[in-house]
Amino acid sequence: MEDISEFIKKIEFEIDEIESETINPETKFRELEEWSSMMGLIFIALIDTEYDVTVNGDDLINCVTVQDLYNVVKSKIQ
Amino acid sequence: MTPFDLKNKTILVTGASSGIGRQVAISANKMGANIIATGRDEERLKETIDLLTGEDSQYIVADLLEQNDINQLVEKIPSLDGVVHCAGIVRPYPVKFISTDVLHQIFDINYEAQVLLMSQITRKKKLNKKASIVFSSSIAADHPYKGGALYAGSKAALEAFSKVIALEFSHMEIRSNCIASAMVKTPMFETAETQGTKERMDEHIKKYPLGVGYPEDVANTAIYLLSNASKWMTGQTITLDGGFLLGDF
Repeated sequence: MEDISEFIKKIEFEIDEIESETINPETKFRELEEWSSMMGLIFIALIDTEYDVTVNGDDLINCVTVQDLYNVVKSKIQ
Repeated sequence: MTPFDLKNKTILVTGASSGIGRQVAISANKMGANIIATGRDEERLKETIDLLTGEDSQYIVADLLEQNDINQLVEKIPSLDGVVHCAGIVRPYPVKFISTDVLHQIFDINYEAQVLLMSQITRKKKLNKKASIVFSSSIAADHPYKGGALYAGSKAALEAFSKVIALEFSHMEIRSNCIASAMVKTPMFETAETQGTKERMDEHIKKYPLGVGYPEDVANTAIYLLSNASKWMTGQTITLDGGFLLGDF
């Protein structure tokens, strides 16, 4: 899997009106001002589209930081 | 004898291996109907049939995504007094990620399969006079949600299709109606729960004055639509939502 900086770029691209480079691996994504249940759906669809990996709502809930999410995706690819 | 009696009626139920489809088979059979249960999973169809009484019910394995399976199914079935379409899937997908693959995945089973099945059934003259067709719609057809473009769209398309069936076969007194339900406790509910989160689903269900629906709630409405009690009702959609759309959040 590509490294986390590419992963973060993809996530930032999907969040409308976010300043670029706001997000880093330690960002608690569910605490972002832009976070909503729709963002959850977008993350799930993004990961499905880009990495052909299925994460569900509970996977998202169990992740706190972007690094956690990256790790989940990476583990599912392997 | 009640006006809801289904004695001597032969009813085809799709998606009969689980959830609402299985319950429709059981409930309609209790009201006297002979059931033809169809679906993809032979083991689970057998389980459905084992729950029925009488000797005249049967299952036929068919994958409704395959035209050949539809043709063979229609070839095998006797003339029908009713069809209840319960096959369907749900998968949230935001608009900006919709691809041909995802679009087909949802529309093929939620719309196309049901259209092609009705086309074959009617072409092969397998509907008796006064037959009743029931489609499983959703409140999402009129009250969509974020991520529901394809699911809500497929159900809206199905409701329109049902009305055309109602028009094209009214000369035979054949009727067609939809049941638009809100959340019902089925395996599909569990799927929706994992697609979102259990917390969100619990929050959603709290907005139902009468609580979440159960398969028998839908099945009992299907009995009404299949029976002569509803002989003047066609081209309609009955909403079953436990009061959700009353909007007392």
